Amino acid sequence: MPAAVALPPFWSLIERHGDELLAHARRLTDDEAAEDVLQDALLRALRAYPRLRHADHLRAWLYRVTTTTALDLHRARRREVVTDEPPVPAVEAEYDDGAFESLIAPLAPSARDALRLRFVEDLDYDRIADALGTSPEAARQRVSTAVRTLRERVAP
Amino acid sequence: MSPLSEQFLDRLASAAVREDLADAVYTTLPSPIGPLVVVQGRHGVVRIAFEGEPLDRTLARVAAGVGPRIVHSDRELAATREALSAYLEGDDDRLELPVDLSLVGGPFRRAVLETLHREVHRGEVVTYGSLARQAGNPRAVRAVGTACATNPIPIVVPCHRVLPASGRLGAYGGGPERKRRLLALEGASVRDA
Repeated sequence: MPAAVALPPFWSLIERHGDELLAHARRLTDDEAAEDVLQDALLRALRAYPRLRHADHLRAWLYRVTTTTALDLHRARRREVVTDEPPVPAVEAEYDDGAFESLIAPLAPSARDALRLRFVEDLDYDRIADALGTSPEAARQRVSTAVRTLRERVAP
Repeated sequence: MSPLSEQFLDRLASAAVREDLADAVYTTLPSPIGPLVVVQGRHGVVRIAFEGEPLDRTLARVAAGVGPRIVHSDRELAATREALSAYLEGDDDRLELPVDLSLVGGPFRRAVLETLHREVHRGEVVTYGSLARQAGNPRAVRAVGTACATNPIPIVVPCHRVLPASGRLGAYGGGPERKRRLLALEGASVRDA
């Protein structure tokens, strides 16, 4: 079924952003798992793609799907060891920001702001710096620290 | 930043097809009449584009017609690639590929292309007028011209076999030289323009 909004052919997104998404997956996990994470993330994205309500910020959306996929994988691995943890419901709502919000909920407000500006608003570091009232270098630092914290929380 | 490998992309496209997540798959293949872009949906070939038609525009139209989940894979379209190559190289005189006319606008244009696909065989040619008659509207000669000019699946839906009443070559979406070569391949005779 044709989508209600004019979405670009999915493969054009992969050609444009695939390389940087792989780099992002590597930051969230390790070199070995990064390709599997991205493969899984892109299949999730394909599942959700026709349900997207608009065609804005598709790159940022793919970053969010990759982020939640990587962290789900870490959680699943951890559950294999720690069995008293309740199972995390599978993230089906990739067209929604709920999954991303619950993922970043445990972080400090300033870290959450930085991640939202980067991965929801899809701003570059100059504009994130303006929004946070810092230098671009400090903005970049804040995003990268927040990503690292997220990763350490789920994969200690 | 290292690029995604071919293997990664192949694996992704095949998984998408296997899990029924692809609305269409596309491939590019060389041929004696220049490189072709072939796009296939769940029910058959939806689009064939000649060299010179911008790929992004071709795929955007397919996305609007059958859905945006379009992936690239040579492997998933191996059988289609082989059938087209064999036909165009002259190794096989049959070209039996399922077609999906979803991208054709309007019931009459669809009827024209369905009739053409079903009834005008290799080595035969037909005039715009007689095709109009066969499609059920003898006076719609001009509309038959439009249907052929906007045929999304040239070669397989053989609009190259439709000629003006003069018996000359006439127009072709892919240019007259491609029309001439396709007709020569099929052994149909055309008066020189």
